[in-house]
Formats: sequence, C-alpha cells, structure tokens
Amino acid sequence: MKKSMLLIFGLILTLGLSACSSQSSGEGEKQYPKGNLQIIAPATPGGGWDATARAMQKVFKDNDLITNNINVVNKPGGGGEVGWKYLKNQKPNHLAINSSLVLTNNLLGSSDLTYKDFTPLAILTTEWEAVVVPKDSPIKSAKDLMKKLKVNPKSLKVAVAPSLGNDDHLSFVQAAKTYGVDATKLNFLVYGSGGDTVTALLGKHVDVATMSVSEAKEQYKAGKFRILAVTSNKRIKGLDDVPTWKEQGVDMEFPHWRGVMGPPDMTKEQIAYWDKKLSKMVKSDDWKKIMKNNDWEPYYKNSKETKKFLKEQNKMYKDLIDEAGLAKK
Amino acid sequence: MILRMLVPAFVSFIGLSWFIASVLLPKAPLGDPNGPMYYPLILSGFLFVMGVIYFIQELKVRHQEKGILKKLFAGRTPKLIIAALILSILYTLTFEKLGFLVSTIIFLGLLLFVINGFRGWKKWVTNIAVAVLFSFVLWYGFSQLLGIGLP
Amino acid sequence: MGYNISDMIQGFHTALMPINLLFVVIGGFLGTIVGMLPGLGPATAVAVLIPITFGMDPISALILMAAIYYGAMYGGSRSSILLNTPGDGSAIAATFDGYPMAKKGQAGQALAMSAIASLIGGLIAVVGFILLAGPLAKFALKFGPAEYFLLFLFTLSAIVSLSKGAMVKGFISMAVGLLLSTVGIDQQTGVYRFTFGISQLSDGIDFLVVIIGIYAVGEVLYNLIGIDKLSSKGKKGVGKIWITKEQWKRSLGPILRSGPIGFVIGCLPGAGGSIASMLSYTTEKQISKRPDEFGKGAIEGLAAPESSNNAASVGAMIPLLTMGIPGSGTTAVMLGALVMIGLRPGPLLFKDSPDMVWSLIDSMFIGNIFLVIINILLVGLLVKILDTPPKVLYPIILVLAFVGTYTMNYSIVDFYLLMIFGIIGLVMKLLKFPIAPLILALIVGGDMEQNFRKSLVSSNGDLGVFFHSGISITLIVLTLLSLTYPFIIQWFKKRKKSADPANESM
Repeated sequence: MKKSMLLIFGLILTLGLSACSSQSSGEGEKQYPKGNLQIIAPATPGGGWDATARAMQKVFKDNDLITNNINVVNKPGGGGEVGWKYLKNQKPNHLAINSSLVLTNNLLGSSDLTYKDFTPLAILTTEWEAVVVPKDSPIKSAKDLMKKLKVNPKSLKVAVAPSLGNDDHLSFVQAAKTYGVDATKLNFLVYGSGGDTVTALLGKHVDVATMSVSEAKEQYKAGKFRILAVTSNKRIKGLDDVPTWKEQGVDMEFPHWRGVMGPPDMTKEQIAYWDKKLSKMVKSDDWKKIMKNNDWEPYYKNSKETKKFLKEQNKMYKDLIDEAGLAKK
Repeated sequence: MILRMLVPAFVSFIGLSWFIASVLLPKAPLGDPNGPMYYPLILSGFLFVMGVIYFIQELKVRHQEKGILKKLFAGRTPKLIIAALILSILYTLTFEKLGFLVSTIIFLGLLLFVINGFRGWKKWVTNIAVAVLFSFVLWYGFSQLLGIGLP
Repeated sequence: MGYNISDMIQGFHTALMPINLLFVVIGGFLGTIVGMLPGLGPATAVAVLIPITFGMDPISALILMAAIYYGAMYGGSRSSILLNTPGDGSAIAATFDGYPMAKKGQAGQALAMSAIASLIGGLIAVVGFILLAGPLAKFALKFGPAEYFLLFLFTLSAIVSLSKGAMVKGFISMAVGLLLSTVGIDQQTGVYRFTFGISQLSDGIDFLVVIIGIYAVGEVLYNLIGIDKLSSKGKKGVGKIWITKEQWKRSLGPILRSGPIGFVIGCLPGAGGSIASMLSYTTEKQISKRPDEFGKGAIEGLAAPESSNNAASVGAMIPLLTMGIPGSGTTAVMLGALVMIGLRPGPLLFKDSPDMVWSLIDSMFIGNIFLVIINILLVGLLVKILDTPPKVLYPIILVLAFVGTYTMNYSIVDFYLLMIFGIIGLVMKLLKFPIAPLILALIVGGDMEQNFRKSLVSSNGDLGVFFHSGISITLIVLTLLSLTYPFIIQWFKKRKKSADPANESM
C-alpha cells in the first residue's frame, strides 16, 4: 500500500515541479541574446550540418564575436525534420542549420513544415555537385553521357546518395531535362552515403555517379575518376580542367547550399543582430580556413537576400521534382 | 496454461497485422511501384507461419508446468516490474522538463525506495545518498567532462 | 604503396613523442570508459572531441581518435561479461560465454582473457594492415550489392544455426529483427514504411536502442524477479584474475583464427565489428571439439569474438585511409574531424604523407599494448561491480540505460522504444528466446534488403547476378555449409559410433 502512495507522491511532485519550470521560461527579451545560445544540427555528428554548426560555434567563440555560451545540439532524424520541428517551438536563442531539404521535404510530401515556418537568417556556404565516371569509362564527356541516356534511359546505372529528391539526384535531373532525357525512366541506385557511392563507382558496380564535388575530388586527383561536369557557374579552383554544365550547353547553376534559420516570429532587432554577427563571421580568417579544409565555397547571403533566395529556390525545386516524377500526389 | 499460449498467439498476430500493413503501403513513385512492399510481405508472412508453428508446439505441451512463469507472479515481483515501468514513464515525461539532474535524482531515488523498502533510517540514508551522488557524477561526467548536452 | 623501413622508423619516432604517447593513453582510456557505458560508443566520443582536435596537429588527432576507437572495443565487452548488457553491437558475442563465465565465478579470468584476446587480435590486424592494406582495399571494392547481400545472408544463417534445437524460436527472433529493420524511409524509393507519422522513426529504429532495451532494461526487469533472494554475486567469488595454462591452450587457436577473420570483415565498408565477432564465434563453435560447452562459459567462445572485433576496428581504418571512405559510423565521424583540420584521407594519403600513416600504424602497436595493461589493471576494480548489492546495482543500470540512449539521438521518443524493447527482452528471457538473431537481423536487415533490390535493378531482374563472381559463390557455399554443418557432423558421428563404439570415450 505504502508503495503506491509513494508512487502517487512522486507523480505529484514531478508534475508539480515541471509545471513550475515551464512557467518560468517566458521571460522578457530586453537584451538579446540572453543566456546560452543553441545551434541545432538536425543530424548526427559526422556530416555537413554538424560540421557547419560546430564551425560556427568555434569561430564565434575564438573571435569573441559572441560572448554567450554556445552549444551545438544534435537532433537527427527524418532528413532534418526532427530538428526543425524542434526549432519551431523554441525561443529565439535557438538557431538551426538548414539546406535545400527544408524546401524539398515539403515538396516531396514527407513534411508539413515549409521554409515559411521559420525566420531565414543567412545562407553561409555551398558545395557544388559533380557527375562522375570511372577514369577508364567509355563515356568521355557529359554530351556522350546524355546522348546515351536519351537513346535508352535504362542503359546506365546511376548512383545517388542518400535519397531520391536530394541535390545529387535533382541536379542530374535538371541536366538530363535540358538534353531531353526522360528523367523518370533513369535507373537510379540509391546508396546510403557519399562514401558508399564512391566505393560503388570505384568497384564499377555502377556506371555513373552524382555526388558533391568534395567527395569526388580526391579520387579525381588520384586518377581514378573522371568528372564530366560540375554545377558551378565558373570552373572550380583546383579542378581547372573540369568543365561546367554551362560550358556544355546546360544553363544551370546548382548550389548545394547550407544556411541558418531561426524559430518563427523573430523580431527585427534579433534578425539585425544575426545579420551583423554572421556577416562578421564569414569574413574571419578562421572561417575561411575551415571553408577551405572542407571544400566549401563562400555563398553568404544576408537575411533579406536569403528570404528572396529561398522563394526562388522553392519554385525551382518544385519544377524539378515534377520533372523527376517524384511530386506528391 | 492460457498464459503460455499468449505469446505464440501474439507473435502470429503481429505477423498478420504487419502483413496487412505491408499490403497497404503506398506505391513507389519511381521504378517498380511495389518495390517497398515485397520484403516486408515475405517477412511478415514468414513470421506468421512461424508463430502458428510455435502455437502448435506449445499446444502439444500445454499441460507441462512452467516454473519461470510461476516465479514471475510470485510475491511482489509483478508489482515491482510494474512500478519500475511506471517510474520509467514518469522519468521520460519529466526528463526534458525538469532537466537531467532533478529528474534523475527523483527517478533513481524512488526506484531505490520501491525496491529496497523504506523502513529504517539506514535505508533512507543509503538510498538518498546513492540517488544524489550517482546522478551528480553522471551529470558531471557527461555534460561537464564530455560536453554532451543534457537537458 | 611502397614499404619503406625508414618511414616506419620515422613513424615510431613520431608515435613515441611524449605528446603522442599521452594522446594514446588518454584516447585508450577514454575509449575504454565510453565502451563500457551503454549507448555511448566510439562515434560519440570522437564527435565530442571534434572541437578539441581543431587546434591539434593532424597526426596527433588521428592517433587520439584511433585510440578511442580500439579502446572502445576493449571496453565494450566489460559490461557484456559482468552484467550481460553489451554496450554495442560488436560486444554482443561476448555475452554468449563471457556472462556464463562470470556466473560460474570466473569473472576475473573472463575479463583478463578478453583483454589478451583483444590485444592479439589487434596486433594481428596491425601486421595485416602493414602487409595487406593495398590488396585488401582492392578486394573490398569487389563487393557489389550482390556480394553484400550474400554476406549478410551468410551472417544470418550462421546465427540462426546457433539456435539448434529451438529453430522456431530462432526464426521468430530473426524475423522480428528483419521486420523492425524495414521501419523508416525506404532508401530506394523514398516511401515511408511503418513510421506512423513519427518523424523520429523515419530514419529507422536505432539498433543500439534495441540492444540497450532488450539486454540492459530486459536484464534489469528479469532480475527484479526474486530480487529479494538475490544476494550480491560477489560472494560466489570472482575467481583468479589471471588465466590458467589450460584456458590459454584452449583459446590460442580461436584467437589466431578470429583475428584475420575480423580484420578482413572490418575492411569491408558497412560490415564491421558486429558481423565480424558473430561470424568468428559461430565458426569456432562449429569447428570446436566441444561445441556443447559453447554458451555455457567456454573460454574460447569469449576469446574468439574479442580477438575478432578488435581486429575489425583496425581493418575499418583501411578503407578510410586508402580511399577516404568511411566504413563505419565511427570512421565517418573521424573523417569529418580530419577534414575539419585540413587533412583529407584519400588514395593519395599513403603517397603524400607516409609519415602520417606510419605514425598511426605504430601508435596502434603501442596503444594496443598499453590498453591490455590498463584493462588488466582494471580487472580488479571492475569485478568489484559484482560486489554491489543487486538492489542498488540494477536501478543504476536502468538509469545508465536511459542516459546512454538519450546521448545517441537526443530524443525522448527513444525512451518509449527502450521500454517496449525492455518488456520484449523480459519476455524473451523468460521464454528462452535467443536474442542475438533479433539484434543481428536488425543490424544487417536494412542493408540486406537494399542490396538485394539494388542487385536486381542493376541486373534488370536477373537472379543470375548472385552467382556471377567467385566471392558470391564462396559466400553461397559458406551459407549452405553453416546451415547443414550440424547435420553433417551428426551424421559423421553416428557413422563413427556404429563403426567403432570404443571411440565413444574420446
């Protein structure tokens, strides 16, 4: 009998305490930011989102740009969905890293959240996408590749990672579209990660792969891969003999960008605060060094530009997803 | 006797419901529209068949006693297990709200009291000491030394 | 990859620098500790260190992270042996015979043997690394979707064959594990399967949550049965902390065989320590003269997987360092950290900076020797855990299980899963269901399906794709053997018996 009493007592105690603590959370926000800042990486450690968050944390701290304590919080799951859902109900001292998935998750029908549910703060970096074949492949150029696919879209096995509807996949679809290839008929093999795609191509278990440039670069330098085209609008430093899609008659610039956003309804002052801090951050030497080490390129846009950019991107992705045959029904 | 048939029946039931859920899976937009379905269909079908075989096996020996099940319902065991589960749910509900330290002290403390009883001041001292000290060591180790964010 | 003695000696110089020795010690120690705690593993530990490694010399950073990785392999089996609660997939096989040994009062010997086996396995793998890194990297590339599918199939069949005598239960356990692996987004098509709209489930059910739920929580609940009669196991004694000559003799062969098995499997991206340790365990059981003792505290059943999983952690460095491809969760995090500080492992690493590679290899030699010393010193301390009264110990384990789970995904949704699997674990223990098939099926199930479908897509539906390479055919033969071996042995024994009854006493 006593035990059940104890249980009930514990129940009342804990619930009572939790009510108190949630009440105390609605403090005023005269001075922003107050207390600890949280940067949400909606993924496990080891990927680009986590790396971006930790790089921000480091640069802010080391350059004394922000004196508040900054924590990186990993909230992995559902291609960012879990982390962003979490962000939506947080106070403005939380930021989250994002990428085009914040648009495509909704367009693909896997999420109810849209980019409009958040406060855009900045786009920070980009990587570019590359189409890659093994060095000894009979396919010598992007044109060869597309010609072959136009005749028979199923004739080649194309590796992408880690899911359909992401930038690896859609950048390829956009290029294919220009050449009149039916992108819905292509033979895509989906691998778990960029590393798996590299392995599959090295072992020649696939014919072509689409991946980010940084994933292809080392193998390219070692003479194992040929990069047929990249999605930047100018040739990439260090890969000077790799042509862009633009040079090969496909009018596209396809960034694989990463940015930050805040919870909905941030005030003007709060947005201005981040514009100031982030623009300083991207100019720092520490940031530039991290960018170089990671093969990221500067792609900074402030909050206003980001808002506009997201709108344009959303439209572009919508068209591409229709084209790829992935649109939600 | 009925009890020992429960698990095989439950296994078959899971197999069957998973089979139905697999049939109802959405079609794939690209490639073979049924691609996502085959594998779970085969597996849940297999599970169902195995569940039925298990059921029959148990049916044959239904009159034998199972000692372990007797133990499960002996003394305060069922109460203890249920108490542990209720406390776990409570812990889950309070973990993020109260923060790690407070919720863990409460959870561990109550659990120790439930298991050890609370007669005699010695038990009070050890239970509370263990709950507070251990929670603090954990919290310190994780959030301060390892820098893993706990709520 | 040329082998240059002077590079190797240079590497020893770098590895023996006081600062790097310190990192090996710290990393090994930290790895051992995180390995012991449920849920925390080398991947988390390395991720936590990323901000610290920022300012470090790349060589030191690499040495530190590698030390954590293999340190965790040493630590992982501690809790398997003492409490029947593995902290990670690669420590599951250590529960099979390690825990029964502890129950028999041989905890000290089990811990010592596991450390020694890990050392030898690790050293075999380091030598293997030096001699075979290049060819093995090429060999690993030959594994296409079809080969991976068959490898996973082989693993499963080997495990199910362990539950000889209770096949139905083994199959049910396996089928449940495989079904659980289908929860989440289907990789090939992006279709959401069985997630019930819970976005935390869309990446699938984390097998570590299941391990902690079934083993740790299940074990706690199981021990609540009759806890009033349980006294601390310490009274039974923990036995000597050093192994006997007889035990050594029995284990040497298994250790020497399992090291290479683990090493080669570790080299395959995506296979890893769980598969390696499980396959060496089943191999040893099947070729053993005393297969009946396996699972009841046979020391060679502990030595084999321990040697194997440590070797696998060294093997996993090969795809990372020769091709820049992370083959496991931990090496993926390591790659991220290295890139951050400006080192990009890839095909050119051996050519461009042999000093770095050799320093790492040499540090692995030193680290393994150091770790065996730490772990044997720790034996005396660790067995004290068994002196803790169960009424205090089990609540603490339950808290550890929750905290460990939280640190994996920072989500309390996993807590509910933990409880569900805890109850399932309790039921499985009560009804004597084998647990390993469920866990292993969950670990390999997802990849098995995806690779099966990828093979069929790439062959346009032709099943011949599973027979077209030497590796596939070998794997098929091994699979068939593992399923039929027990029967073949029986048949042989019967024939022998009938031919020569006097032989029975052998």
